[in-house]
Amino acid sequence: MIPEAQTGIPARQIDEAGNPTLRIVGGPKRPIEVGRSRLLVAGAFFAVAFALIAVRLVDVAVLQGLGDPSVVRESVSGAIKTGRADIVDRNGVLLATSLAVPSLYADPEDVIDPEESARRLVTVLHHLDPAEVAAKLRSKKRFVWIQRGLTPRQQYQINALGIPGLHFQREERRVYPQGDLAAHVVGFSGDDATGLAGIEKQFDAALRDGAKPLALSMDIRVQHILREEVSRQMQAFEGIGGVGVVLNANTGEVVAMVSLPDFDPNLAGNAPDDARFNRASLGVYEMGSTFKIFNTALALEAGTATMTSGYDATKPIQIARFTINDFHGQRRWLSVPEIFQYSSNIGSVKMALDFGTEAQRDFMDKLGFLKPVAAELPELGAPMAPKPWRKINTMTIAFGHGIAVSPLHLASGVATVVNGGIQWPLTLVKRDPEQRAVGQQILSRKTSAQMRKLLRLVVEGGTGGKAAAPGYLVGGKTGTAEKPGKRGSYASKSLLSSFVAAFPMHDPQYVVLVMIDEPKGNKESHGYATGGWVAAPAIRRIITRSAPLLGIHPFDEESPEIRQVLDIQSPLEKGRKRLASF
Amino acid sequence: MIRRSMVLWTILASLFAVAMFLIKHEVQIREARLDALHRDILASQEAIQVLRAEWSYLNQPVRIESLIRRYMELRPTDTAQLGGYDALPMRVSDASAKTEVEQ
Repeated sequence: MIPEAQTGIPARQIDEAGNPTLRIVGGPKRPIEVGRSRLLVAGAFFAVAFALIAVRLVDVAVLQGLGDPSVVRESVSGAIKTGRADIVDRNGVLLATSLAVPSLYADPEDVIDPEESARRLVTVLHHLDPAEVAAKLRSKKRFVWIQRGLTPRQQYQINALGIPGLHFQREERRVYPQGDLAAHVVGFSGDDATGLAGIEKQFDAALRDGAKPLALSMDIRVQHILREEVSRQMQAFEGIGGVGVVLNANTGEVVAMVSLPDFDPNLAGNAPDDARFNRASLGVYEMGSTFKIFNTALALEAGTATMTSGYDATKPIQIARFTINDFHGQRRWLSVPEIFQYSSNIGSVKMALDFGTEAQRDFMDKLGFLKPVAAELPELGAPMAPKPWRKINTMTIAFGHGIAVSPLHLASGVATVVNGGIQWPLTLVKRDPEQRAVGQQILSRKTSAQMRKLLRLVVEGGTGGKAAAPGYLVGGKTGTAEKPGKRGSYASKSLLSSFVAAFPMHDPQYVVLVMIDEPKGNKESHGYATGGWVAAPAIRRIITRSAPLLGIHPFDEESPEIRQVLDIQSPLEKGRKRLASF
Repeated sequence: MIRRSMVLWTILASLFAVAMFLIKHEVQIREARLDALHRDILASQEAIQVLRAEWSYLNQPVRIESLIRRYMELRPTDTAQLGGYDALPMRVSDASAKTEVEQ
């Protein structure tokens, strides 16, 4: 390559700038070349390493740092995790939330004068006993709770006392701002934020993990109306308990559910058992005449009776040691609509005997009356059904005795009967309107349409006249059951008076149930304590007040379209004419 | 030659050292501020939660109802007061309305 190198003589050259350059050739050349290439390798290595570091630096500082700081990490401030999700109603009104509250504890070793400290402490925490507090402060432990869940004002005052050895710990506390309004649905949770009842218990795990509030199907405004009206009737008739349910007939959503007496979930520990008992879902009762809805529906569905057929209700039925009689006795041949309208026990029993025991049990099973309802509550009562199911049971179940179900069962069953025969699983959680639940058709549309007419008839001209809320086409059925006495006999003085209604009857949207436990007749009701006197007026007021909130506008009850859907034509007139010849 | 590049590198190195110190200092200040902001945000979130609870508490229907009874002259709506567009009588058509105005 280089000619001089071959000669072995050092070559002297002059470059363009005129500086002499010396190139050493021959022997010494090789080690230097080796050193240079090693340097190059090392240099390249370091260059690559620095380049990597630089790239990583840009990555960390510029690229990853962009979105991060906006997220607040709780570890930053050392705050406790307020992890339990809120519970809200269907419109987002807060029903249960978690607040961070200070709790007071003491380290007795640091307390200088237990007696004096206790004496001063109770000037702020008035409800504590100074002797008890002093005993706590004298204990040998290093940690004793003095009071959990202080208000900010108490914390400030205790701080101002400046007692050594007292410390605060931030804790999570469940707060129910709506108080006793939805106590039985929402439930309550304990000091350590574990759900102990209601939705709080049912969704305990989900609430613990979730950040998103849990929206219930309830509407707190309707809940308020329901609670107020049920409570009013309960007081007016000196009842020992009351139940109210408002159910969306086409989705199975429970819009309101009341069980009285109720309690304040903020102070759930102090509530008596009777108040904590959810009569609407856990209590099972023999419902009485409201069961004639299902009895009649089955007879029409099975074809053993029609809207024009009739039964002889002149004489009471004697079976074994029982006599089945009518309360609103007509003592004549009654058509099926009349049996329903006047709530005839005799007629209902005869209808039941026509379709028989097997059909009755199957239908009760399909309606879900033989197992707890499918609502999301831990407190669900299992119905009590006869076993074995004898003929006598068939006869009594025809008018709602001998089978005990919860009020939620009853409301759900009525929704199925009036909404076209589709059974929707009950729910307390707001349904996504996009994805409808799967309903089951258990009754034909025709039977459902006939039942709507019959239910309307009861309010227009039967035992349920007091439930008529003008414009809302209320239909329903009264129920007055005698509660079983102590010795298994029925006590005619302690009643369970109820009314179950649906509206608007030509296209039912909501089912409303009101039940008063052991009402006593008063002057206003002329001594009556039946469903028609006790529960029906509450139904009228509940529907009148809540329908606008539920988005249902009043209808012209006399409009031909509605009359055509709801009127029971000829049979009544025909029946009367025919009766005249009897 | 070597001395000159040494001077250059020394200057560069000390410049970087100073810059590094300044940036680190700035970062420390900003981190402290970020911490404080996080604390503030958490405190605000907690305060908001308390206020939300209080808002719900103060909006208890029972309370609102008693306040309205005491201070307002509102009464529950009567069914007869409610109606829809369909219930309104036929509207005079635009054309005939115009002619009326012209007359």
